Amino acid sequence: MTSRIAVELNGRLYEGDVEPRTLLSDFIRHGAGLTGTHVGCEHGVCGACTVQLEGEPVRSCLMLAVQADGRSLRTVEGLAPAGGLHPIQAAFQERHALQCGFCTPGFLLSIEAFLRERPDPGAAEIREALAGNLCRCTGYRAIVEAVELAAERLRAGRGA
Amino acid sequence: MPGVAAVLTGADLEGRARPLPTGSVEDGVVADAGHPVLARGKVRYAGEPVAIVVARSRALAEDAAELVEVEYDPLEPVLDPRTAGGAPLLHDHVPGNVLVSWARTSGDVEGAFSRADRVVAQSFHIPRLVAAPIEARGAIARHEVREDVLTVWCSAQDPHRPLAQLGAALDRDPDRLRVVVPDVGGAFGSKGAVGVEVAAVAAAAVELGLPLRWTEDRAENFLSAYQGRGLDADVELALAVDGRILGLRAVLYADLGGYLYPTTAVAPHTTAMLLTGAYAIPAAAVQVIGAATTKVPTGPYRGAGRPEAAFLVERMVDLAARDLGLEPVELRRRNFVPPEAFPYETPMGWTYDSGDFERCLDTALELVGLDRWRAERERARAEGRLVGIGIGMYIERAGGLWESAEARLEPDGRLLVRTGSSPHGQGHETTFAQIAAEELGIDPAAVEVRWGDSLAGPAGVGTFASRSVAMGGSALVVALRELKERAAGAGVGVLELAASEGGLEVSARFGSGLVFASGAYVAVVEVRRATGRLEVLHLAAVDDSGRIVNPLLAEGQVLGATVQGLGQCLVEEAVHDEEGQLTTANFADYSLLTAAELPPIESRFVETLSPLNPLGAKGIGEGGAIATPAAVANAVADALAPIGVRHVDPPFTEPKLWRLLREAGA
Repeated sequence: MTSRIAVELNGRLYEGDVEPRTLLSDFIRHGAGLTGTHVGCEHGVCGACTVQLEGEPVRSCLMLAVQADGRSLRTVEGLAPAGGLHPIQAAFQERHALQCGFCTPGFLLSIEAFLRERPDPGAAEIREALAGNLCRCTGYRAIVEAVELAAERLRAGRGA
Repeated sequence: MPGVAAVLTGADLEGRARPLPTGSVEDGVVADAGHPVLARGKVRYAGEPVAIVVARSRALAEDAAELVEVEYDPLEPVLDPRTAGGAPLLHDHVPGNVLVSWARTSGDVEGAFSRADRVVAQSFHIPRLVAAPIEARGAIARHEVREDVLTVWCSAQDPHRPLAQLGAALDRDPDRLRVVVPDVGGAFGSKGAVGVEVAAVAAAAVELGLPLRWTEDRAENFLSAYQGRGLDADVELALAVDGRILGLRAVLYADLGGYLYPTTAVAPHTTAMLLTGAYAIPAAAVQVIGAATTKVPTGPYRGAGRPEAAFLVERMVDLAARDLGLEPVELRRRNFVPPEAFPYETPMGWTYDSGDFERCLDTALELVGLDRWRAERERARAEGRLVGIGIGMYIERAGGLWESAEARLEPDGRLLVRTGSSPHGQGHETTFAQIAAEELGIDPAAVEVRWGDSLAGPAGVGTFASRSVAMGGSALVVALRELKERAAGAGVGVLELAASEGGLEVSARFGSGLVFASGAYVAVVEVRRATGRLEVLHLAAVDDSGRIVNPLLAEGQVLGATVQGLGQCLVEEAVHDEEGQLTTANFADYSLLTAAELPPIESRFVETLSPLNPLGAKGIGEGGAIATPAAVANAVADALAPIGVRHVDPPFTEPKLWRLLREAGA
């Protein structure tokens, strides 16, 4: 038994047939073929699968695909224009804020939403905001620095 | 069931898959107890694979797996490596449940202990840990029937060891097997040996004539991927009254689990070999008893035996300092292997190639601000607060064996490098391009680095033991120097020669003995009296990894390893219940540190160059995970000294410390 769902995925309409039990994360990866969203724990702790639903970060492993029907989703593939880097991605690269990179898409989607809400955060606030995403490689400090750098550039971009 | 292709058990794989090889230990006895691909008759731990369900989708496979009925007659669990010898046998042919045994004595140990003014003894328990890469394990296997070539793509640390391990398990010639390791989401030692699941998937792909994919979930990773650490130890130090260490004696009881993975025996042997640490100890006797227990096997996890060695010897040195009434800093200075002693052969028989341990310690003490923290500790104690300072020296065995590199310099000046070494987050692409660019004087952007395909790349040993730059990087240097010699012979530059000859190709293999990175970490902690909560106030990390090629990436390794080391101190512990069931099998029960829990960490490098390779490099991947637990453990013991606590084993969780505080009447 499957249901037909339609979602706006990174600004484009995507329709697909899913079983009611299909996780949103599996739908994104295997249905829509967007494998930039990574699956780390499937119990809502590691944050690797974080995507944005109507602009808000959610764990795609804790949602069913059918719950996203008729709504808009943004994944890491929708963060930057083709061939380019979003300012947060560029900051990650410059500050060496990723090593294996597996957790990175989840961090990026969490941080993008965070900086929209808090454009000028303090270091402690950044660390709190990052605490919903696990990284086993970097020890986080470079990620905190990348967020500071990205925030500064995004503010400057808005001011310009 | 529609959509289900097959259900295979151990009986179905009879004659098609053998247990994985067991590995070996120099001068040690290793039992013939390799991990079977699927269990036959007896399962030896909760989490051991018993059957494989092949279906069109994961959901269907999971539905079908629920219909597989396994009848278990419970056997007596064997959980404690100290008492496993008297427990029922896990393997009928392995007497005393001893999977690995090893012992070495060097110097007059008995004499040292009888001469000693003071003997310090302590027992230790280092819990098992879970490596927990955020990407769990997975593999795809496809068998081309006509050519009889089996291709396995797997999340592994390198293609070479899976190639050898799968070749042995499936009895398949290396030229009928291809292993591809694409981008890998972290490993930390846990993907150096292929899981038996990979062998099962590969065997099933051949058997069924279907391409198969296996991706484990997090619960499977906790239950079935080999774990790290798991060591009990009894250690004694013999000391003269002036603080000179005369001798060391130790028995190590390693909790190895139900079987031996190819790398299981490595960690306890490494612990034994490094047990004299940074100190010139003239006599030592160390015995390793690697016990079979009814738990998932252990294997390398970041540090792989070295954190255990650092924890044991560094705790012993602090206990000795306390018993002799000496400053821990001073006791260390009196016993360090001095800089002029290199190459220095330890009593256990490894030869440290280079180092300057006192300089590392001085750098770390300066970095942390020792005088300031000592004053702060006195102030805190006067107020009844529990603040402690701890030092963790470390030695990291790195490098060894060999690696290879191929390079092709195109007529237009682009350089294609193929390395046998392969990354899973370390940044080989950057580092190796930088090494090549520096050697040839070209732009790093003109260098392309490829790796990870057993068919397309040069042979290699693998990415482990922090050996990539020292071995793989050196192989690349050797190859490129040969290019430069060719050009010099022709009286032109390499770029000119490449342009005139339509490109140049070169390959090289580089081998050397072990190199030894080292360092000094200093931790300052406070234990909250009311709650037992441990706060790390400051951590200074000083690593001597020889020449640092890329400071940004090197610091990334230090910070990442240090935070893993902190996790081991603060929260991480794989807990099994009295029946041997893992009770910490998800990220809620086995927590990793988050960004919100970071203490201030400062990192510096001391560079004493290794004489064993052209880069002068040692290793950078593991120091933080090795030294941090030792430094924090010493700081915790220092903090709790005023209330009469002598020793605490990690992890230093709030409930554990709270109970200690209550017992001490604090």
